[in-house]
Amino acid sequence: MRYSPALLDHFLNPRNAGLMQEPDGVGVDEYEGCGDLARFFLRVREGRVSAVRFQTYGCGPTIAASSAASERVTGRGVEELLSLESQEVEDAVDGLPDDRKHAAEVVAGALRAAALDALRRPRGGGH
Amino acid sequence: MSRRVYLDHNASTPVHPEVLAEMLPFFSEQFGNPSSVHGFGREARAGLDLARERVARFLAVAPEEIVFTSGGTESDNLGVKGLAWARGRGHLITSKVEHHAVLRACQWLEGQGFAVTYVGVDGHGMVDPDDVKRAIRPDTIGISIMHANSEVGTVQPVGAIGAIARVAGVPFHVDAVQTFGKIDLDLADIDALSFSGHKIYGPKGVAGLWIRKGTKMVSVQHGGEHERRRRAGTENVPGIVGLGKAVEVRARDMHEERRRVTALRDRLWEGIRARVPDARLNGHPTERLPGTANISYRGVESESVVLGLDLKGIGVSAGSACTSGNVEPSYVLVAMGAPLDWAVGAVRHSLGRSTTAEDIDYVVESVEPIVRKLRATMPVGVA
Repeated sequence: MRYSPALLDHFLNPRNAGLMQEPDGVGVDEYEGCGDLARFFLRVREGRVSAVRFQTYGCGPTIAASSAASERVTGRGVEELLSLESQEVEDAVDGLPDDRKHAAEVVAGALRAAALDALRRPRGGGH
Repeated sequence: MSRRVYLDHNASTPVHPEVLAEMLPFFSEQFGNPSSVHGFGREARAGLDLARERVARFLAVAPEEIVFTSGGTESDNLGVKGLAWARGRGHLITSKVEHHAVLRACQWLEGQGFAVTYVGVDGHGMVDPDDVKRAIRPDTIGISIMHANSEVGTVQPVGAIGAIARVAGVPFHVDAVQTFGKIDLDLADIDALSFSGHKIYGPKGVAGLWIRKGTKMVSVQHGGEHERRRRAGTENVPGIVGLGKAVEVRARDMHEERRRVTALRDRLWEGIRARVPDARLNGHPTERLPGTANISYRGVESESVVLGLDLKGIGVSAGSACTSGNVEPSYVLVAMGAPLDWAVGAVRHSLGRSTTAEDIDYVVESVEPIVRKLRATMPVGVA
């Protein structure tokens, strides 16, 4: 099988897909040359991610990686997210084929951008 | 076992049981080399001759005008390069929506000093014969236009183009890989025709090129005296026997199947159109391959739809490829002027002899939630 069972499960039943009202941080990343785009919304309470929503445009692995990463970062400190690596996102879907590694990169990039946005807002992302 | 539905017949088809039965003895008992003089060779030769006769009868041409090859790609290469090389230099005309076997052969010939005009298509993917006429120059040495496009199924006006080529005295090659054995074709103004076995329930790795007697054509590969010195190499006897039988079966079944498959194709599109918003049919509304329905879902990436349908046991193919981080909308849809947000969401369904109404209804039911879910994950404004 080209894709792992975990990836297929997240693709078929994406968790946390959709918009968020008044998010505390928003981040977008796009993969250059490819149409893939991910946008993450964070709700932050006392410096920690309390809820995540995402909107993703792209191939199946990008959608699945968005869903898996949204679960994985919930509850984590926002500052920690600034150094989120694509490898961790890839691990969350039990690996990606070589020609689909960009799925993890675009998701990690969007989550880092969302964390940075939350930290830069006047109330420091924790109100 | 869960339901499986194969809607990728333009990619390949299962070998027909009658075809397989006819092929089997040629792997073991009648294994000889048809070029050998002894009895073993003569048995293989008899199989080869019968296949050639069957193909010739189907096309209403002479058996000696048929050259067997290893596939549609080789047939196209032989057709295009063989015509060009036989004339040494000059100008070729083809279209922007040809199969890569023709397009890349033409591009390669450009590197060898030939000139090529790539005529465009309209919004339905159809070549205007007048564009071909206008492209003809005094040094034009060949025209190659496909009979039907594999992605969107649009059937080209090869009769009208052939008439223009005939008047101009330019040889005309037609890539009929997607139509051979599916719809009728008048060869009156055609000089070379590519056809294949595995699109019509024959085996893979075998195809052919019909070359009208008297058409100047040189070989692309050299070696022995096979195929009247037009294609060197020991013939793939079991494959050719299979191709011959497949053609015979098609002659018997194709008209009835054309009617049945066309109705199913329309049922698929009507069902999807009624259930999925922002869907559109690519290709010509009527002048189209019986079993081909290329449908775009706006703002959705086709590979995601293919993956979603695959998980429901349905085999279709994506109209765009996203490999190594580079999204490539289909060059056929781009040539047709499809906007990018439609072109990247194109999914090709190609039906065949095993397709049933129940299969179609299952696909229609399956696709709606997949597209709806994919759209729900999309950022607003991307679509």
